[in-house]
Amino acid sequence: MTHGPLIVQSDKTLLLEVDHPDALACRMAIAPFAELERSPEHVHTYRLTPLGLWNARAAGHDAESVVDSLLRFSRYPVPHALLVDVAETMDRYGRLQLANDPAHGLVLRALDRAVLIEVAKSKKLADMLGAKIDEDTIAVHASERGRLKQALLKLGWPAEDLAGYVDGEAHAISLHEDGWHLRTYQRQAVEHFWAGGSGVVVLPCGAGKTLVGAAAMAQVGATTLILVTNTVAGRQWKRELIARTSLTDAEIGEYSGERKEIRPVTIATYQIMTTRRGGVYTHLDLFGARDWGLVIYDEVHLLPAPIFRFTADLQARRRLGLTATLVREDGREGDVFSLIGPKRYDAPWKDIESQGWIAPADCIEVRVTLTDAERMAYATSEPEERYRVAATARTKLPVVQKLVERHHGDQILVIGAYLDQLHVLSEFLDAPIVQGATTNRERERLFDAFRSGEVSTLVISKVGNFSIDLPEAAVAIQVSGTFGSRQEEAQRLGRVLRPKSDGRQAHFYTVVSRDTIDTEYAAHRQRFLAEQGYAYTIVDADDVLGPPLPSID
Amino acid sequence: MTSKLTDQLRALPDDGLGALLQLRPDLVVPIPSDISALAARAQSRVSVARTLDGLDLFTLEVLDGLRLVRGEDGTAAIETLLTLATEAGAEPSRVRGAVDRLRARFLAFGQDNALHLVNAIDELTSPYPAGLGRPAADLDVDVAALAADPAGLRRTLLSAPPDARAVLDRLAAGPPVGSVQSGLLRGKTDAASPVGWLVAHRLLVAIADDTVELPREIGIVLRRDTGPLGPLHPAPPPADAQPRTGADSAGAGQALEAVRHLDALLHALADAPAPVLRSFGLGVRDLRRLARDTGTTEPVTALLLEIAYAAGLLTYTDATKGASEMVWLPTPAYDAWRTADLAHRWAVLARTWLAMTRAPAMVGQRDDKDKPISALSHEGTRVSAPTVRRAALGVLTDLPEGTALSADAVLDRLAWQAPRRIGRPGAPAGPQALARAALAEATSLGVTGLEAMTRYGRLLLAESAGGADSDPLGIRSRDDETPDALVAALHDMLPVPVDHVLVQADLTVVVPGPPAPDLAAELTLVADAESRGGATVYRVTPASVRRALDAGYAASDIHGLFRRRSRTPLPQALEYLVNDVARRHGGLRVGTVGAYLRSDDEALVNEVFADRRLAGLSLRRLAPTVLATPHTTSRLLDMLRDAGFAPVAEDATGAALLTRPRALRAPSRPALRRPRPDNFDPPRLHGPRLEGVVEQIRLGDRLARATRRSPLSRAMVDEDGAPVTSAQAHAQALAVLQQAMRDQARVWVGYVDAHGSAASKLVRPVSMGAGYLRAEDDRTEMLHTFALHRITSATLDD
Repeated sequence: MTHGPLIVQSDKTLLLEVDHPDALACRMAIAPFAELERSPEHVHTYRLTPLGLWNARAAGHDAESVVDSLLRFSRYPVPHALLVDVAETMDRYGRLQLANDPAHGLVLRALDRAVLIEVAKSKKLADMLGAKIDEDTIAVHASERGRLKQALLKLGWPAEDLAGYVDGEAHAISLHEDGWHLRTYQRQAVEHFWAGGSGVVVLPCGAGKTLVGAAAMAQVGATTLILVTNTVAGRQWKRELIARTSLTDAEIGEYSGERKEIRPVTIATYQIMTTRRGGVYTHLDLFGARDWGLVIYDEVHLLPAPIFRFTADLQARRRLGLTATLVREDGREGDVFSLIGPKRYDAPWKDIESQGWIAPADCIEVRVTLTDAERMAYATSEPEERYRVAATARTKLPVVQKLVERHHGDQILVIGAYLDQLHVLSEFLDAPIVQGATTNRERERLFDAFRSGEVSTLVISKVGNFSIDLPEAAVAIQVSGTFGSRQEEAQRLGRVLRPKSDGRQAHFYTVVSRDTIDTEYAAHRQRFLAEQGYAYTIVDADDVLGPPLPSID
Repeated sequence: MTSKLTDQLRALPDDGLGALLQLRPDLVVPIPSDISALAARAQSRVSVARTLDGLDLFTLEVLDGLRLVRGEDGTAAIETLLTLATEAGAEPSRVRGAVDRLRARFLAFGQDNALHLVNAIDELTSPYPAGLGRPAADLDVDVAALAADPAGLRRTLLSAPPDARAVLDRLAAGPPVGSVQSGLLRGKTDAASPVGWLVAHRLLVAIADDTVELPREIGIVLRRDTGPLGPLHPAPPPADAQPRTGADSAGAGQALEAVRHLDALLHALADAPAPVLRSFGLGVRDLRRLARDTGTTEPVTALLLEIAYAAGLLTYTDATKGASEMVWLPTPAYDAWRTADLAHRWAVLARTWLAMTRAPAMVGQRDDKDKPISALSHEGTRVSAPTVRRAALGVLTDLPEGTALSADAVLDRLAWQAPRRIGRPGAPAGPQALARAALAEATSLGVTGLEAMTRYGRLLLAESAGGADSDPLGIRSRDDETPDALVAALHDMLPVPVDHVLVQADLTVVVPGPPAPDLAAELTLVADAESRGGATVYRVTPASVRRALDAGYAASDIHGLFRRRSRTPLPQALEYLVNDVARRHGGLRVGTVGAYLRSDDEALVNEVFADRRLAGLSLRRLAPTVLATPHTTSRLLDMLRDAGFAPVAEDATGAALLTRPRALRAPSRPALRRPRPDNFDPPRLHGPRLEGVVEQIRLGDRLARATRRSPLSRAMVDEDGAPVTSAQAHAQALAVLQQAMRDQARVWVGYVDAHGSAASKLVRPVSMGAGYLRAEDDRTEMLHTFALHRITSATLDD
């Protein structure tokens, strides 16, 4: 029995004691095959999942090395059953290969004949498989490459895709590294992606995913289709690309509700791609509009289901997924794995933070006590109204104001979900508001003003959740959210986690009403943040409103 | 024959006889009276079969060889056998060793050049020794002629078409008989089919319509490469035994899991007892639930439950309150078991498992009646299970330490060791299936790890193997064995229980190792277990804190618990959570009252509360304007009124209940008689009603007359007027009935009906027979049947 830092659980979670002297070595050893699930202060939880093990297998780790890492670092004897399970699961990846046969085109080839017989019997695969070429090979319809991979993953026999990629229409792109250069992890991310051909790079908000995308484009050197969540995010991409690469304004097209430009590099929104008219997706032609050499998916975890279907038809093109988290609220992580590709790079947030790229954040929950009248209104409200009543309590206003005052001089975002409340806040704080109804032009103007420091406080609604690059924001004050979604929390924290030019501390405040459902939702967020390793402090509104606290900075 | 064996046995020295009895212990049950009885028993089918079952494959092959080389006189010469065996590649020393084994068991006895075999062997083994057919001379004259001509035989064989040759090779490998499609061999054989060709060319003999046999001589010719005996197996199949490191650790990890799972299982059963099936056992749905709740598979759950039952940790009872059915529940022994240390707990499991006659692998399979076998049911017992288990594990134990062997290889070895017992992959509950199950169970329990026997597993097997001899009377109890080597060996490999926790900001509490029992008990109350295994992760939730508060903890107790146990500073979030829940805990109070008293006038309520005359009501003040009493509403009202207050009762909705005094009344009922009409004249009858009445009277009169004339109402007398006995009356009655039948006259039949009461009927007898009288009733035109023995009298109607 060793005294290692790792404890293996029956439910296939791994507990890593971070204060242990071997913790770092252990983390390096298990990171390739185990997914970091929670990283609170003392014990990090990793999970062994089939997907994770297959990801590791795809990256060239074999079962023996995985078992060896477990045994080497485990504090207690590891049950036989778990070791056998790990070995058997990993062994399932790559028993089947998708390959290009010079004579027959795309084929499914078996390294284990029994597996091929088993999957060939499956009804789900019946339409995708063609004629049997020999005992170990079955022809596959080229159009079914993606769907076949999806179906095989569901059957538990993920295929290794060795069928290669088309080069696409060449288009020279290079990075303009003047005064800046790619950070180490960004370079590694691109290398891993290029080696794998396609896949997903997981980096936290603010860690420079756009740059990873740009570097990947430079590496591929071909026409590129970039899919982003919304128009504003698309414009940011464009701005960033023009600034950091050899691409010019004329080479980058925007394909959105407003403009329909198809250029060597085209940025399209998920929304326009999933727009239907009369039951038909009207903008699908974009995928075939050019001979794309690379397709970049921004925020893979938000990829809408129809895009998965289109992606299934794009399997011959290189695909790069960028995201802060692989966790999807709809649980379709498996589709990301089979259609976009295995995870190619992943760095835990805390690590990036300790490297200094992300501003360390200070998370504070401010609890306000409702007035009696508000409590009464809350107590008698309808169940579906309760959260709104609690979250939009007027008592929060002076607290927010006080917080804004305290951080005078910093760039502050006030984030909320309810427009009425935001409008009141906007008046109260005398700050401009960005909401769904704000035109793209106006948004751009306000964001620019915020970036330049012209506007120091900005009130934003849910539109601010995704892909708006406001690196100067040092303080975020959250007044209401959408029912404590984990994803939203990651995004909101991402708003203020961008590297600060002067290395200041970022602050993330959540103002909640005590003893209401607001506190319960806050508890979810708090758990998420604690799991991400951020210590969370709870303070009382009176402490905020009372005599000024000694500065934390 | 018997006398020969008797002589042999008689000539044996005492230790020689002893050696035989040691090898065949069944011979002395019961102790034979003399040597000839012993000899007879040694040759009995049962005893010989038992002995053969214990022989390995090679010894059986040698035995087959001896049968083959037997001469006319029924004896075999070892030299002949040695020649054949050497041809097949077996070393003479090994063959002699095998013969010695047969001799030691007295399956073969006599001189080297004239070895006798016990008769029963031929009955118990294949009729085709060494897989060769009967000599051609015994089968067919023509074939014998061919067999006697080696050159001709070789030519014929060489001319055989390939598929015919394949048939020959298969039959030559044994057994030498094969069946073909029925009727193929009848009449003119089809020379085009391979078998037809072979029969036509006299290489095969048709011994039945659908069966062919390969004559011995031809079989021997075909076995040119191996010799007449065919391939021999002097040694067990070579095993691809692989050195394995970490077997002990993997096994220990699994052992830990097994103990933990069993604990969880019994805990789950105690929380929600599972009913005992009417056919005994545990239902499949409950099994599935338990497996799901404890995070194991159904087979492992069944295994652990069976062990728990065998170990006395689990039993059935109807002791739960209010339940009329029997349920499965852990026993008090479970409480003792769970406080023991891990190694000890595992030792209890493993020892029980090794010795139990239950076969958990059969759970879920179907029995003879095609009914699924449920866990803990009577059908799940196999007396041979412990033997097979020990044999299977024995194969692994015989390997050097840390050497792994796959289950298939173990079964191959077992099949070589005792082919008659474990050889064939038989029924789902056959020995081979049991052996395979035993290996799987050993893996689940951690007796083996990574397919190798663990160090402590060896100790387990060794202790129970030696145990029976060293302590035949079971005087030493297990507790007296001062150092328990098994427990000690395992103990060194298992983690030491920890008594501290790590508390984190996401409100998880990690016990970094197996929790000490007291720690586990404390944490189970204040937190929910989220993940188990080497460590346990608990999560503190509002619900779990409330649970602790409900159980009598105060917020400070919970803080104290964490402060005492935690090695890390407590996160602020935990403090807030506990305080938040504690603050709200008990904010609402619920209770039962008999009646309440409320008033808008606080002073009035105070007055009532202070009134000493009302002390008997035990009033309690719930609010300034509300009092409550455990007594009933009416008592409260009465006492308040007596005290001069003017209370009003109210119902559940708060509406006043008005109680106007009410005269007491019984429930209403209809009057006894219809009220009389006003006039006192008798009622008048008219028309049809009157006629109806008359008719009814007439009918009644006729019936009355008929009844009056019924002979039963008169005394029974014979012709002389003297009373007759019942037997006489019965005979008389039958005579009367016969007469009446002939005359077709009407008779009064007196009889005793089914209720034992006497009755009579005027009928016209129709027939009499089989103990019954059938008669017609003229009035109702119905056919009646009377049992003759019930008829007491018969009188002709006059």
